[in-house]
Amino acid sequence: MSAEADKDKVQGAPMFASAEKIYPREMKGRFDRLSKLATITLLGLFYVVPWLMWDDRQAFLFDLPARKFYLLGLTLWPQDFPYLAMLLVIAALTLFFFTALLGRVWCGFACPQTVWTEAFIWMEQWAEGTRKQRMKLDKAPWSWNKLRRKGSKQLLWLSFSLWTGFTFVAYFTPAQELGPQLLTFSAGSWATFWTVFYAFATYGNAGYMREQVCKYMCPYARFQSAMFDNDTLIISYDETRGEPRGGRNRSADPQALGLGDCIDCTLCVQVCPTGIDIREGLQMECIHCTQCIDACDQVMDRIGLEPGLISYTSQAELESGRRSFLRPRLVVYSAILLVMFGAFTFSLAGKKTADVTLLRGLGAPFTILPSGEVSNQIRIKIANRSPEKRSYLIVLSNGEGLTMIAPENPLTVAPGQTEMTGAFITAPISAFSGGETSITLTIGDGVDFSKVLEYRILGPAGGWS
Amino acid sequence: MIQEEYRGTRQWSRNRQAIAIVVWISFLSAAIATMVFFALFDPVELSGIFDADVDIGRDAGYAAGFFFFWVLTAICSAVTAWLVRTAPKRDAKRR
Repeated sequence: MSAEADKDKVQGAPMFASAEKIYPREMKGRFDRLSKLATITLLGLFYVVPWLMWDDRQAFLFDLPARKFYLLGLTLWPQDFPYLAMLLVIAALTLFFFTALLGRVWCGFACPQTVWTEAFIWMEQWAEGTRKQRMKLDKAPWSWNKLRRKGSKQLLWLSFSLWTGFTFVAYFTPAQELGPQLLTFSAGSWATFWTVFYAFATYGNAGYMREQVCKYMCPYARFQSAMFDNDTLIISYDETRGEPRGGRNRSADPQALGLGDCIDCTLCVQVCPTGIDIREGLQMECIHCTQCIDACDQVMDRIGLEPGLISYTSQAELESGRRSFLRPRLVVYSAILLVMFGAFTFSLAGKKTADVTLLRGLGAPFTILPSGEVSNQIRIKIANRSPEKRSYLIVLSNGEGLTMIAPENPLTVAPGQTEMTGAFITAPISAFSGGETSITLTIGDGVDFSKVLEYRILGPAGGWS
Repeated sequence: MIQEEYRGTRQWSRNRQAIAIVVWISFLSAAIATMVFFALFDPVELSGIFDADVDIGRDAGYAAGFFFFWVLTAICSAVTAWLVRTAPKRDAKRR
């Protein structure tokens, strides 16, 4: 950094002027653009989704108080938990697949920790300026300027955190009711508590802990290397090209000096949010934020060398120049993923809007009526899994002389509830052989559910004369 | 020298690391436990088990369940971390 530039900053004239040459954080580059795009898209989705509507209700609502989940047109009940578990397994497998293919692309671009940290750093830059300005500000004694800058940063952080907390809770409580309630301090105590809790977690994680979370607390960071193979894309420094590194005069001939392409400007170290030196090889701390690539490409451009001394490439490509995609690991991951996804779609498509169970009546298995007919009591349990109230008509559809008496037919069941009703089936003794006979019940709601059930009713063994 | 300038690179002390790991991992485990538990049981139906007069809402039930699991998993994590860190070193003793 030049002395003039330094003086400029001290006198504070253009506090927010772009300082691209000196402060790497402000460096632009193709990966930086990609990361900004990812951050804005993901944050945008998170904050917008609770406001989307589907008919008269929130499109995505995990209504815990009512114990049902709404996902677009779908309603899930606690009994549908296996679907959620399956979805989590699919998500994990997708993560494994992309890790094997692209390395820690999740860490660098999509992890909430990274995304919110990025947003918090933007706010820090708006309020306190560039990296150097921030360091200077921290060392300086308290002044009006420092108070103003630090204060506005805290204000930005806190309001963003609270909004984040509110948005999080809005996935569980309807956003359009929760918003006004929180603003007028009339929201339920637990909704308020979770809003503040999540806001505090966001503030601490994205404002202060940042990449320390990745270094010390994240289990995925420790085991992700298990998904790597030689063709996995990683951030790598081309050692054969860069070494021996060393500073040089602009006019000097590196070959005469016996130097590689690395001018040892240490910009790659300065931009690293976890503080490692990528030139020492891939390390556990590297979250693939790709900032060192942007920094190095810019330096290479300035000194008139090819970019790509640090690049997003694989071990195999560095050694042989070839990129391979058809690897056993990727094939296996995608095969499992396809099977899981197929099973999930299949089971979801076949999901019935009701469950019907037939149970034998309590007490004697059958009674013989004065008329000589045999009566069986059965119990019919219907669980309504549809989002609205439905009436289920029970129809006895076979047999000669068979009749059904059901006090509640059709049976009306509220959404998400299970109701049980009794029914008597009477049959002439001649219908039984070997002490039993089979009946067929059809239960339907007249909308989209209909089920045919076979059931065996009991009678006197061997007939009865 | 360069690294010292950037506050993000400051190393956490061993104790701070341990506390952060215990809090975070137990939080994640408690979140999963809460999810599975309350998918199977409705807090409103559970609240009458110990005392018929106790009638808590679902909100409070979920929160109570979550913090119960968190305390439990945190104790488990903390004791494990502490035992691992204070265990006698095998090599040191043999020498």
